[in-house]
Amino acid sequence: MNAPVQPPKLPGAANKLKSTRMAGKLVNEYWEMVWRAKEEGKLVCWYEGSSINPFLEAADIVWVHGEAYSAMLAARHQEGPAQAAAEERGYSRELCSYARTHLGCAVNNQRHRNGSDSAFADVPADEDISAKLPPPDMIISAYAYCSTGQQWDEMTSRLFGKKIPIFNVSIPWIWASGKDAGYCRGKEWEETSVYVARQLEEMVKFIEERTGKPYPWDRLRELMRNVKRASELRLEAMDMCTARPAPATLFDWSVSIAPINQLPCTTDIVDYFTKVRDEVAERVRTGEGAVPKEKYRLFFDGIMNWNKLGWLAEKFAKYDAAVVAGRYTHMAFWQEPDLIDANDPVMGMGQNYLICPNNHSSPILIDLVMGLCEKYQVDGIVFHATRTCRAFTNPMHLIAETAHSRLGLQTSMFEGDVADESFYKDELLNTRVEAMLEAIDARRLATA
Amino acid sequence: MAFQDPLARFAEVSADPLGYARAWKARTGRPVIGSFPMNFPSELAHAAGALPLIIQESDDPITVGHALLFPFYCGYTRSTVDQAAKGDLAVLDAIMFGDHCVQLLGAADAVRVALPDTQVIFFQLISSMCDPWTFGRARESFQKLRSELEDFLERPVDDAALRESIALFNRNRALIRELYRMRVDGRVALTAAQMQSVVKSSMVMDKHEHTALLEELLAAVPAQAAPDSTAPIRVHLSGHFCQAPKPELLNMFEECGAVVVGDDLYHGFRYISTDVPEDLDPMDGLARWYMDRNTGVPCPTRVQNDVDWDAFLLGAMRNERAEGMIVLMAKFCEPHMYYYPEVKEAFERADVPHLLLETEHEGMAMEYMRTRVESFVELVRRRRGVARAALQPVEGEPA
Ligand code: SF4
Ligand code: SF4
Repeated sequence: MNAPVQPPKLPGAANKLKSTRMAGKLVNEYWEMVWRAKEEGKLVCWYEGSSINPFLEAADIVWVHGEAYSAMLAARHQEGPAQAAAEERGYSRELCSYARTHLGCAVNNQRHRNGSDSAFADVPADEDISAKLPPPDMIISAYAYCSTGQQWDEMTSRLFGKKIPIFNVSIPWIWASGKDAGYCRGKEWEETSVYVARQLEEMVKFIEERTGKPYPWDRLRELMRNVKRASELRLEAMDMCTARPAPATLFDWSVSIAPINQLPCTTDIVDYFTKVRDEVAERVRTGEGAVPKEKYRLFFDGIMNWNKLGWLAEKFAKYDAAVVAGRYTHMAFWQEPDLIDANDPVMGMGQNYLICPNNHSSPILIDLVMGLCEKYQVDGIVFHATRTCRAFTNPMHLIAETAHSRLGLQTSMFEGDVADESFYKDELLNTRVEAMLEAIDARRLATA
Repeated sequence: MAFQDPLARFAEVSADPLGYARAWKARTGRPVIGSFPMNFPSELAHAAGALPLIIQESDDPITVGHALLFPFYCGYTRSTVDQAAKGDLAVLDAIMFGDHCVQLLGAADAVRVALPDTQVIFFQLISSMCDPWTFGRARESFQKLRSELEDFLERPVDDAALRESIALFNRNRALIRELYRMRVDGRVALTAAQMQSVVKSSMVMDKHEHTALLEELLAAVPAQAAPDSTAPIRVHLSGHFCQAPKPELLNMFEECGAVVVGDDLYHGFRYISTDVPEDLDPMDGLARWYMDRNTGVPCPTRVQNDVDWDAFLLGAMRNERAEGMIVLMAKFCEPHMYYYPEVKEAFERADVPHLLLETEHEGMAMEYMRTRVESFVELVRRRRGVARAALQPVEGEPA
């Protein structure tokens, strides 16, 4: 009989990349810029989902990514006041916690504004960070796949009394109809790309109306050159993690989401990913692992549990398990830089929005996940069943089933959430992960 | 008894929609095309000679479906996946849909895997209703669905047949709307469960057959005595999108002293609210219908900044002379969870009483709900005769 998997006991087991520390500084600077926006007389746009920020940044509009704000609050354990404000207004806790947290910010924001149109005018102000978010001058909704995203934007607009101009970009789900359907190919893909690109052109007109200036296309091209390069570097570094031991894990890539997703698209992000790539390369050269005694390699399916990011990194490291890749980190965020022509970026940007990790239906999606599992040679998949993010939980059972039948992988599921800690059950995670690792051990013994 | 006969048939079909479909298929030898709620124009499948059937939540407990969808999904999606996994939906030759509620998309993916022999056809309908291109895109989406249906059936859907189907469906909707009007005026006494079975069976039955039964029903409506002041309180039922509320729940409202005089349920007025214009090109007409029905009865699954569900509800209640509203929220239904605070605030501002009840696929705490409904009925009854702010128009409410 093989020895039971030992419960975690060592402190500080995860050997995180040093270069990603820079992300914290960049993220802070970015939010400081957001918080100063009104003082500086800047226009502010709220948006969720797709990374439309380069369009806004080019036009000198301050961009606020709703998920990013909610994730930041959750990661700093400061989500409480926003979530309480949302609940007070009647938003059920079964509603997407990203949306709920962000809508709570809007509620708190209204409290501070004390506007006569606000239903919350009589509520006393408080000083929590959720209320620091500057109110929007415009809202752009460009959410791939998840209807909840679009409805969240609509609700934001309604919370502000429908007085804020809103622009909707519809990003259809790739259902994979037709014999030619596949990842980034086929008639459906081509037609949908054109449909999204056309709407983005209209979105630019909407931006021009807001700024009263012709759109600075040159600036967008310049920003997209940086995005493209940063993306290439990120993917290059990720690819190096096929090495054993893996030089970086999903938790390093989670910390690196902000730089690729919503930080200013300056050369800072290129520098950031250059440093990350170099550190990863150096680790490969010296054989240094992100998990010192890497014994298991796992794939993480699901969106991140931001309240628990550091906690989970430690937990898996203590199990000697390197979480080498994930659907959230490895299948999104300017994932296909080759599609971007920096000189004529709109189509490629739209196509990257179409490649969110959920926006392909299961036949394509499952193949992509299986491809990553094979590429990174994982022993098992951990599913984070995010209670309020059905976009991510939708295909999980199908993925698990295929992982068993096609690749013979072990899987385990644990409950948690993107930004609501109360759904996370630590004991359940421990038992299930331990059971999975034991099964992996047993299998290894059997095939040894 | 002529009045009761069609009602009995509607109730029978509503209780076993797939049984009806199997019998129809055996009798006609023609295909059955299922669809997911709430915006697929069934006229297309009808014009193709198929039986269009809107897939219904089943009363059966979820068993095998647990292996495909998590328990924190709405009852409709879990039940649909469960029915597919159990093989109950095998009678369907194809399933078509254009709605993209995120939970429905999860269900669709699972259904496609569970039913390898059933073609599942999807083309996403635009859900942003105010864009300059909404009409064009809606038309294009319906055209795509039509083409895929033609490919699947290997026969064209011709415009003349589509026009006939549209006219038939309009007639069916108009007859049900007439029943709704008669219920408001007290000219017909229909329980909420009976009204539901009228609508639900229309989602399932051959439209000619259903329409003929409706005509029979309307011709045989018995005369009603005028309601007196001790009559039950008049309520509007709101919410519940993709699935029909359970009849026992509806019956319980009546047992508690309420009478349902209007609703905006999908298995109710939402389904029959809007006709397809017959004077347009049929594809234009379907796109127009899609847009008009959201203006007519706003739906939380669409985004449309220039209509308000809460204002619609207050207006509808005034027309129905409803004294209170019962909101039925299917557990985990996100669109409803998003909009409910708006509705709640508007009703509080207008001083119109409402009661929120959360429903579940199985294991509903009926006795607890009954106590809440009894208290609500009592509260509304005590308000009788008190001048109501709801009678004053509220901001944004249609006149
Ligand atoms: S449910 Fe998930 S995908 Fe949808 S809006 Fe929320 S976080 Fe985004
Ligand atoms: S709209 Fe509500 S009831 Fe319909 S599928 Fe979505 S969550 Fe379920």
